[in-house]
Amino acid sequence: MQRIFVYLISLSSILLCLPVNTVMAQKKKQITVPADSTRWLNGFTVNVDVASLVTSTFVSNGIYSSEAGIQLDLKHKFFPTLELGVAGANKVSNDNINFKTNGVFERFGIDFNLRKKKPDSKPTNNLFTAGIRLGMSNFNYNVTNVSLTDTYWGGTEIINYPTQNTTKLWYEFVVGVQVEVIRNLYLGWNLRVKNMLSKDITGAVSPWYIPGFGQNNASNYGFNYTLGYHFFQQKKSVKKTPVILIEKKDKSK
Amino acid sequence: MKKYSFIVFIFSIFLIISCAGDETCTQTKYVKLTVNFYHPNPLDSILSNRIVASIIDSLTVQGLRKDTLGKYTTVDSILYNNQKNVSTINLPLNNFSTSSIFKIKFNTITDTMTITHSNLNDYLSLECGCIITHSIDTVVMTHHYIDSVRIKIHDVNTINAENIRLFNKSK
Repeated sequence: MQRIFVYLISLSSILLCLPVNTVMAQKKKQITVPADSTRWLNGFTVNVDVASLVTSTFVSNGIYSSEAGIQLDLKHKFFPTLELGVAGANKVSNDNINFKTNGVFERFGIDFNLRKKKPDSKPTNNLFTAGIRLGMSNFNYNVTNVSLTDTYWGGTEIINYPTQNTTKLWYEFVVGVQVEVIRNLYLGWNLRVKNMLSKDITGAVSPWYIPGFGQNNASNYGFNYTLGYHFFQQKKSVKKTPVILIEKKDKSK
Repeated sequence: MKKYSFIVFIFSIFLIISCAGDETCTQTKYVKLTVNFYHPNPLDSILSNRIVASIIDSLTVQGLRKDTLGKYTTVDSILYNNQKNVSTINLPLNNFSTSSIFKIKFNTITDTMTITHSNLNDYLSLECGCIITHSIDTVVMTHHYIDSVRIKIHDVNTINAENIRLFNKSK
């Protein structure tokens, strides 16, 4: 009986000691990590595309375009974006057919900040983003001086297609970088793959150029070099919150 | 920060490079009426695969146009000039008139084929411009060598399709 009692006492003391030993084996460590104190609505950025202005001036090829955008900063993670622009083309083909258009375009979508914050890194507002856009343009265009010739029976006719109107819809995948060069002033670039959603009607006079999309292909590439200013941006502080982390002792030791 | 500035700089170089688009027309603009010659076969109306192609030993085709006095004159250019062993021909319809007339000489016998048609402007692209396609209304033929005519496909466009069948008289 006494033996059984001693056995039970020793077994229960072993069981009781196990967690105590584990706790004893752990080492307390206190480190500090920066707290995510970014506001949900962290101001907004107004961007102007410099690339389209430069290409319109120096390498126009009969095409001009200029655009600007506004980008909300939500928690410095999500960036709902609205881009507006005007674009046009005055193109003469090898056969002297003239295509002329002027129109406005809109794009809206969202960017996501892919940059991961490292615990001990300096606070920064630089962004590496990826996002999507839905673009739309309703515009008028003219196709004039279309020459028709009958090489066998003879005769020539000039056809004009004035005041054509269409609406085009497309979507884009965008990746880009924005760097805060001085406080609240950003420089950045982005690359876009644009895919047309609206199809041309067979037999219709299709436009050669679509404002905001580019030449009328199934897909196009785009490039923007942006200059932006961030309004009402929250000041980044190096405020660090102490956090107690418990490190487990290595079992092998 | 330096790394980002470098990436921005690299892409600003790309900005200067621009590619000119391809401005050549890659679509076919050749609109042609296809006419095939056949031996007479009464079963044609029932089983079209029973018909036998007729090979013309020598064929000459030329367009005919009406002058201001209402007199027919031949177009200077000859479409087929004494062509040997022909069973199919491609003819251009008049883009600016609703009738096209052809003088067809089968060996030594000459027939005249008058095609009335409608014309339709078809805009392709800025690079290719416009073509005129046709829709055949009627085909009227003299019957010196040819016995009968059948319109197979009315639409004449860039697609290579058989439009008219001409059946010669049985010898």
